[in-house]
Amino acid sequence: MIDKRLLRLPGTKKVLLMLAGLTILQAFMILFQGKYLAQAIVNSWRLKALAWQYQAMLFFFLALLGRHLLNWLKSHVLDRYASKASAALRQQLLTKLFHLGPSLVAKQGTGNMVTMALEGTDQVENYMTLILNKMLNMMIIPWILLIYIFTLDARSGWTLLIVVPIVILFMIILGFAARDKADKQYAGYQQLANHFVDALRGLATLKLLGISDKYADNVYQVSESYRKQTMGVLRIAVLSTFALDFFTTLSIAVVAVFLGLALLNGQMALFPALATLILAPEFFLPLRDFSSDYHATLDGKNAMQAMFTILELPQPQQRQLLTAAPTWTADSQLDFTNVNVSYPGSNEADLADVSFSVRGYRKIGVIGESGSGKSTLINTLGGFLQPQQGDIRVNGQSVPHLSQEQWQQNFVYLPQKPYLFHATIADNIAFYQPEATAAAIERAATKAGLHEWLATLPDGLATLIGEGARGVSGGQGQRIALARAFLDSQRRILLLDEPTAHLDIETEVALKETMTPLFADHLVFFATHRLHWMQQMDYVFVIQHGRLVEQGTPAELQAQNGAYVALMAQMRGETL
Amino acid sequence: MKQLKHDTWVKPYMTKYKGLLALILVLGLVTFICGGALMFTSGYLISKAATKPENILLIYVPVVLVRAFGIGRPVFRYIERLTSHNWVLKVTSDLRKRLYQTLAKDAAFFQQHFKTGDILGILADDLGHLQNLYLRTIFPTLISWLLYVIIVIALGLFNWFFALAIALLLAIIIFILPLVSVAVLGARVERHKQLQQELYTDMTDDVLGLSDWVVSGRQADFLARPQPTLKAARQNTVTTRHFEWRRDFLIQLIFGVVVVVLMIWTNQQFTTNQSLANWIAAFVLCLFPLVDAFAPVSQGVEEWPLYMSSVARLNHLQPVTRELPTQQTLSQPVAMIDFQQIDFKYAPELPQILQHFNLHIAAGEKVAILGPSGTGKTTLLDLLLGELEPQAGQVTINQVPIAALQQQRAQLIGMLDQKPFLFNTTVLNNIRLGNLAASDEAIMAALQAVELGPLMQRLPAGANTVVEEAGARFSGGEQQRLALARILIQDAPIILLDEPTVGLDPITEKALLNTIFNVLADKTVIWVTHHLQGVEHADQVIFLEHGQIVMQGSPHELYRTNERFRKLYQLDQGL
Repeated sequence: MIDKRLLRLPGTKKVLLMLAGLTILQAFMILFQGKYLAQAIVNSWRLKALAWQYQAMLFFFLALLGRHLLNWLKSHVLDRYASKASAALRQQLLTKLFHLGPSLVAKQGTGNMVTMALEGTDQVENYMTLILNKMLNMMIIPWILLIYIFTLDARSGWTLLIVVPIVILFMIILGFAARDKADKQYAGYQQLANHFVDALRGLATLKLLGISDKYADNVYQVSESYRKQTMGVLRIAVLSTFALDFFTTLSIAVVAVFLGLALLNGQMALFPALATLILAPEFFLPLRDFSSDYHATLDGKNAMQAMFTILELPQPQQRQLLTAAPTWTADSQLDFTNVNVSYPGSNEADLADVSFSVRGYRKIGVIGESGSGKSTLINTLGGFLQPQQGDIRVNGQSVPHLSQEQWQQNFVYLPQKPYLFHATIADNIAFYQPEATAAAIERAATKAGLHEWLATLPDGLATLIGEGARGVSGGQGQRIALARAFLDSQRRILLLDEPTAHLDIETEVALKETMTPLFADHLVFFATHRLHWMQQMDYVFVIQHGRLVEQGTPAELQAQNGAYVALMAQMRGETL
Repeated sequence: MKQLKHDTWVKPYMTKYKGLLALILVLGLVTFICGGALMFTSGYLISKAATKPENILLIYVPVVLVRAFGIGRPVFRYIERLTSHNWVLKVTSDLRKRLYQTLAKDAAFFQQHFKTGDILGILADDLGHLQNLYLRTIFPTLISWLLYVIIVIALGLFNWFFALAIALLLAIIIFILPLVSVAVLGARVERHKQLQQELYTDMTDDVLGLSDWVVSGRQADFLARPQPTLKAARQNTVTTRHFEWRRDFLIQLIFGVVVVVLMIWTNQQFTTNQSLANWIAAFVLCLFPLVDAFAPVSQGVEEWPLYMSSVARLNHLQPVTRELPTQQTLSQPVAMIDFQQIDFKYAPELPQILQHFNLHIAAGEKVAILGPSGTGKTTLLDLLLGELEPQAGQVTINQVPIAALQQQRAQLIGMLDQKPFLFNTTVLNNIRLGNLAASDEAIMAALQAVELGPLMQRLPAGANTVVEEAGARFSGGEQQRLALARILIQDAPIILLDEPTVGLDPITEKALLNTIFNVLADKTVIWVTHHLQGVEHADQVIFLEHGQIVMQGSPHELYRTNERFRKLYQLDQGL
């Protein structure tokens, strides 16, 4: 019913204790509310004047007031706790995200991670509020009331007590039945549920195929069969609420009849009978409340489990190990010996037995078919992936992985589509160096070939870009990322992962003119399918099926007439 | 309320299935009445029993009634829930069809499609909001109002003055507090939405830009960035909740007062003799189950502004319909396509895309269109489809303007774009969309032609396998091949290719282009491409720049005579 890990969160036990105290108090308020209401009614029934009632009425009203004041207070306490606890979880999640890096996102999916950090935390907060409160209510209130009812009329007490397990049993049985039915239809059901959005997204295609008008009837028919299936599942799903409703209402009716008979036989007086009748619905109320928000709690529980799963993932340790390479220089050296890397959750090595050593400002082209492991190598070099085996040395110092803070201060990473933050162009350029001066940013932008474009923007470097703001073309996006490298002269390594794959040939040519001067005093790892870049490289890695099958200067590899030559020919195709 | 005045998305449907709607309201009402009546008869029963009547038959009627109401309440509630869901889903089917048709009619939709895929999700969500509007706001509110009227009239039969007092007290709960809630919370609902949007942007920045954050080493900034918005959102929630708690407390307080008033009144009204006094418990107790009908009204109405923005968005959907000239049908096979003196810009203030543009394409020709991004390559295709209209000049097929051929368009033109859309249904159904009358054999033949035969054999259910959302089961190259098979089934003489190989690696790209030009050998093909891989498949290459053709000729000829073309080609070949 409740995730044990929730109880281990800091502050949970204290809040539970406090809530338990308030709930006990509340149970007594409910008891008094019923008791004095019964008292007042009995007085009236005895035909006493209004003046006789004031006391009972006052106590009734005070009890009611107290009951709802306590509710208010409980809401406060819970809200404060839940918001704090869920915010702390979100913060932990973000910290984890930062430490695990893009490989986690690649595995979980971007949308999934964003949803988890936002809606997920809200659902967890909601779950904490609901589950703690409703659970305590269920554990405390009915039983205090029941004890009182037993003192009034044991038979009513037994009636109410017997109904509880029956109700729970029925709800479980019906819950399973509904789930079975839903499970059986699930695949088709999902498809029907998403069909409408699918049809809207495919509308342009349907128009091109000339069937967009006819398809409207299909939209209606699918929606109708969705309705029929939903109703089929609902008929059973709602049954569990029905069972709860049926047994609780009926047991109140049974209690009323029993009480009536007992009164008729003179076995009891009106006051205990009335008090019992009034308290009977209150006895069931916590159970009803609990089941009415069952689905909301289920969502929250799942969200929390997903979050804990990520928080419990191991993260790279020893990130401050590296001290031997404050900046990359012409004499620096990087050695890989028999390095094996696999993505989290993958069984095979995505890179196997990779060995190389590079010194100084080499320009290394990394080529291979798609899926061969080029990106895996770049991600390992960036420290986004950690190897399982092998030896990595930076300037002779051995490190278990390159997720080293010092190493990461050394390079600029350019992926296929660099991400542009929702910020000004200047902030995007200065992302690695937020303290850079405006003049330095301007110079870097000019070197990256952005000046012409910036001149056409009314706000220039202060233009807001990114999500929901001004669109930026692929070539300009690459130039903004490139400007980061021009700005930060300390970062002397360039990790390029197919940065031009999405560009048209002329944009690529223009970008190349800007990019090549940057290569001069940098160590470059350039993974690409675009063969003309090989002319700017002085060394080539050929990767096939996760293995570094050939390495050497382009001339050496050409002479070897091996994998390199074969791959180049295959990619090039027929020539004119 | 303003939104509802000229509304066509909510009100018409309330009258369309009014019989069912009335049934829902009656069932809801009966459910609450049963609940109240159960306590009413129970209260009477035990009061009567306490007077120890000689004849047990005197309490026989209340005993039966207690049981009847005890069973009636859950049964009616069950039926009411099913009926209301059924009603809402029925209306949803209508609404979906209507939204689909509205968008399909919209001439501007095709243009916006690629830019704002999100808006579709938003509109689909709006329909979901309408479901909640009915289930959570409209039905409960109407039921509570009906119940209110019944209670006040029933009490009025005994004592008008007292009925008025109760009417006023309950009115606070079901009229005044809901209105106050909307007035107070309306702005906060908006603010909440806006903050959520900002948070979404921040989080997306954090997640999508994660590698840059890691490389920058700015962990503290990374964590601090969403904090101000989170804090503001929390503040907004806290004030909202504080209001709700106060309001809910007030509602309960008012109920307390109602009970007290009821006790005073019953004490005055029913204490003249013992048989009257038996009604006291009945009247007082029957109020409690009714709290459930009145208390949630504020909560439901509170969400009103949220729903209203959905309703407003739907009502704002005004499809831009275009006046088309009298439609014609080509009787002869396609012989030529002509762009004649075309001037085009997207809007008066935007730059000129095409100027005096002329192009003649003969049937069966393969034309490749190249040029820097933003020069209007895709615009040419949209003009040929007739989705865009030039400011001057015209596009014709066999000298008939394309605008007059819109009804026949799917028989004339097929198109393969960067990311072809695959529907979440089986492979067979997806391909059959090209021609609904196609036989399974014809479809299998098309799959063979695009070299997907072996893949189909590997799939768990062959060509009956579901492609999953947006074709996720298949790789980029395979998706293009499936779409190509669909085009083969469509069997139009003119095929437009809009950068179909972007994002594919060169080996996949080469193989796909070979297949495309192999199966389209007898068609007229206009191919927009971003680089020169496979350009040898074209008979004619056109370079667009600044709205003009700057290079034109066969690839071999251009390679021999044109320095720029040769340079680009060699770059692409890595020579």
